Amino acid sequence: MNNKDVVIIGGGAAGLAAAVACRERGIEDILIIERESALGGILKQCIHDGFGLIKFQHSYTGPEYAQKYIDQVEERNIEYLLDSMVIDITSQKVLTVVNKSGLKKYKAKSIILAMGCRERTRGAIGIPGTRPAGIYTAGVAQNLINIHNYMIGKEVVILGSGDIGLIMARRLMLEGATVKMVLELLPYGSGLPRNFNQCLSDYDIPLHLNHTVVDIKGNKRVEAITMAKVDPHGKVTLSTCQEVPCDTLLLSVGLIPENELSKMAGIQMDPLTGGALVDEYGQTTVKGIFACGNVLQVHDIVDNVSLEAEHIVNGVERYFSSLVIPENNIKIEPGEGLRYVLPQHIQYLDDTVFSFRVKKPGNKKQIIFRNDHRIIKKKSFIRVNPAEMIRIKLTSSELSDISDSKLLKVELNE
Amino acid sequence: MKKEFICIVCPNSCRIIVEYNDKKIRHIEGDQCKKGKEFVKNEIKNPLRIFTGSVQCKNGDYQLVSVKTNKPIPKKYMKQVAQKTHELVVEAPVEIGQVIISDILGQHADLVATRKVKKY
Amino acid sequence: MSRNTDNHFDVIIIGAGVVGCSIARELSRFKVRVAVLEKESDVGWGSSCRNSGVIHAGFNNQPGTLMAKYCVEGNQSFHSLVEELDVPFQKTGKLVVAKNNREIAGLKKLKKQGECNGVKNLDIIDEQEIKKLEPNIKGVAALLSPETGITSPYLYTIALAENALKNGVQFYLDTEVENIEKKSSGDFVLKTQNKQFIADYLINSAGVYCDEIAKMADIDHYRIYPCRGEYYVLDKNASSLISHLIYPVPNIEEGGLGIHLTPTVDGNVLIGPSNEYLNKKNDYAVTTEIVQKLFQEAQEYLPGISSKYFIRNYAGIRAKQTPPLQGGYRDYVIEKSEKVPNMINLIGIESPGLTAAYPIAKQVVTMIDKKEKLSPNPDFNPSRKSILRFEEQDEKTKRKLVEQDSDYGEVICRCEQVTKKEILQAIDNPLGARSLISIKYRSRAMMGRCQGGYCQTRIMELLKEKYNYRWNDFLLRGSESYMLTGNRSNGEPAL
Repeated sequence: MNNKDVVIIGGGAAGLAAAVACRERGIEDILIIERESALGGILKQCIHDGFGLIKFQHSYTGPEYAQKYIDQVEERNIEYLLDSMVIDITSQKVLTVVNKSGLKKYKAKSIILAMGCRERTRGAIGIPGTRPAGIYTAGVAQNLINIHNYMIGKEVVILGSGDIGLIMARRLMLEGATVKMVLELLPYGSGLPRNFNQCLSDYDIPLHLNHTVVDIKGNKRVEAITMAKVDPHGKVTLSTCQEVPCDTLLLSVGLIPENELSKMAGIQMDPLTGGALVDEYGQTTVKGIFACGNVLQVHDIVDNVSLEAEHIVNGVERYFSSLVIPENNIKIEPGEGLRYVLPQHIQYLDDTVFSFRVKKPGNKKQIIFRNDHRIIKKKSFIRVNPAEMIRIKLTSSELSDISDSKLLKVELNE
Repeated sequence: MKKEFICIVCPNSCRIIVEYNDKKIRHIEGDQCKKGKEFVKNEIKNPLRIFTGSVQCKNGDYQLVSVKTNKPIPKKYMKQVAQKTHELVVEAPVEIGQVIISDILGQHADLVATRKVKKY
Repeated sequence: MSRNTDNHFDVIIIGAGVVGCSIARELSRFKVRVAVLEKESDVGWGSSCRNSGVIHAGFNNQPGTLMAKYCVEGNQSFHSLVEELDVPFQKTGKLVVAKNNREIAGLKKLKKQGECNGVKNLDIIDEQEIKKLEPNIKGVAALLSPETGITSPYLYTIALAENALKNGVQFYLDTEVENIEKKSSGDFVLKTQNKQFIADYLINSAGVYCDEIAKMADIDHYRIYPCRGEYYVLDKNASSLISHLIYPVPNIEEGGLGIHLTPTVDGNVLIGPSNEYLNKKNDYAVTTEIVQKLFQEAQEYLPGISSKYFIRNYAGIRAKQTPPLQGGYRDYVIEKSEKVPNMINLIGIESPGLTAAYPIAKQVVTMIDKKEKLSPNPDFNPSRKSILRFEEQDEKTKRKLVEQDSDYGEVICRCEQVTKKEILQAIDNPLGARSLISIKYRSRAMMGRCQGGYCQTRIMELLKEKYNYRWNDFLLRGSESYMLTGNRSNGEPAL
């Protein structure tokens, strides 16, 4: 049995930032376990720019952003395993890891979960039709093009206006394919506004809101899809069905935090986020196991992943110092109009950044943090958008105003 | 003519409304910084973009080295730059920032590597 | 009965489904030169891989029919068969659930029918007993059939084919029979796209296309009506909700067993199949109406089941002999015709075809043996081993496996914990089937939650590494199902 102070599962953006932050705190005994052949996670295939605008005030591509952290890991001699898969994890923090050298067990004092997320599939949303070649989730297509130098199609229809789909629309156009359209089920786009500009408008790719794919045709390879309009309740209006000849259907229909290992460890999940139930330092319901990055909540900006990972290291440090956790147990509840709020509860009354997403886009909104009758904090927004995570900091003094019912409600108002 | 632009410079994605005729700007509203103003001015006169793509690499631990222009260049050259990336093969090792094509299409910007590729 | 030319066989089997492969294996017990011609790029890609995988006990079939006879025989001999072939099989038992008191008569009828057919241990249980066995299922009474089980229909078909191959049968994939000519000598000449074959005997086990093959030999009086069944596959988490097969009381006019819940040997749950007559024989599409219907039915069986559990859909087509307006069943037709005595036609092998395949195969061999007096093949070996599944082993064994072979240490499919070793074995399969679906069926990679999101590109990498695959070699499901449209760039520097 190998003992480790900190084992980090996942060497992507979150895992790398957490590792470096741990070392900066003086934690020596760290091990990153990464399933791929190189560190960097999904950033390796995200060759577009826009990464690092907050952290580094510069626009980097994914590989550049990753390299900044990989360089630090190397410089600081932080130990990592590549091509290694965690196949079991217990609530006693015993991990079973498999790689070419063998099957090894590690007893960790603390674990940081940084496994990222997976893409929602065609099967999961039940698109009817045949199952020919030429149906890809955007991330797989991105990998095939940017890492393996393949072209996945010539005439492409994209379902889902999430960022990955938009980025791939541009990539496909530049690499010689024709992207015929992007279809979006909702009445509004799911990606960042700037991506609609530089990925769709720039290339004259039409965006059809309130539309979805209701059929896929083609025996061996995709030959056509059928698009249809949906009503405000998401129900298909059959009279609007229209066949679109194409050879590729790209799906960008959502990301799902990859928490199979978390469930194995007995960690309680939040159905609203798809990730673990945590306190302000990423501490899950199993003491000593922390979560950060996409495995905790799906992020849109990698800078926030790094910030989140760096922050939860405070929790790891406190956990090691075996200082008594105050256990204020203040529950945070998202109000109507909010999809979720993180963290779901707080123990300390330190400065805390709360992350959340709204359910629908809106203009001139206010976020109110309320404890019973008391308004703890108010913040106004000209515009809110489900695609853009909102982060609001409450200071220690603001939080110490909370009393009596240990409940902090976060509301979205006009 | 009045048009709304979504600024792509930073995550704020400011909606900047510009009133202009021909290429002369009369009024700008909604910008929150200098870069935003610069951006919309260019969007009207001569839209600029950073190109990102890949170039094949021999003998490395990756077969494609990701690249970008180190400065934004006119939007109209995007496809041509993409075509150029198909036309060459570099050799590992490659460092981030290494110039792959200098002064690409005469636009005073270099196409530089954005991925570190080690020799296989 | 041996011939000298390499395309001349004693027996040619048309169609490598579970029935064709069973016949191939049974014939390989004798000194017979056998070839199997299959139009798809792998075995079992017709109805054989697209069903619920149920090994029925035999109470759904009318007494005196071949369906009933072969079903019961097949069910009772299945466990020894799977031991030989190393195929998964679980006797989960089945509950046919009556939702109201009016349906109880139907249960009694099934029980009586089953007992008549020789099915053992059938019992009608009450509401409380149902709750004890299946706390999530509601019903006023149910028929409990402990002898009903589940298997993996594709692993079974593949196992039969591999064992037949090992025992001397030749398989020709991507080989569609286009024309059959009867020579005056009695031989059959079969024309396919690539090669010409000659056979003394023909076995028509072409499933949905058996009527068309028969017609090629001037046998006109068979007609197959394709009837599609769509399914939804539920996540492994759903398997904690049921342990038996859960069926409704069948609607006889509908001619199907109704939409039911089936646990699979891999730990998923299937819901389906539907029942739709089609105009085309190869329309495997899944439809909006049925997808919604299956979703609703799942909710009715298991109220509150999360939508996250629904991971994918597929469809299969039944070879029905009864036309749409008639519905119902017609018994299996396994016969030679007066006109063409050396051709055995297997017509309308729908449910319980998977269960009945082995007894059907034995019957076909008996029919040939009557005339030819077959002599046993002394080298026949009934045993066949499947790919060892790393995920199923205990920790000690896993550790040993990795020590012995480091390819077991590379987990390629995260969701199903499939290692590089297993995927390489799947790629290297003896039948030479190299589509991604063929690798998927044999290794279980890409069958998990992410549906290949992580492992698909890695499997493609392995194919490139081991077999120098170029972009047009990557096929999803057989010829022309190109996954890629080219290389992104070809690295030719311009002058």
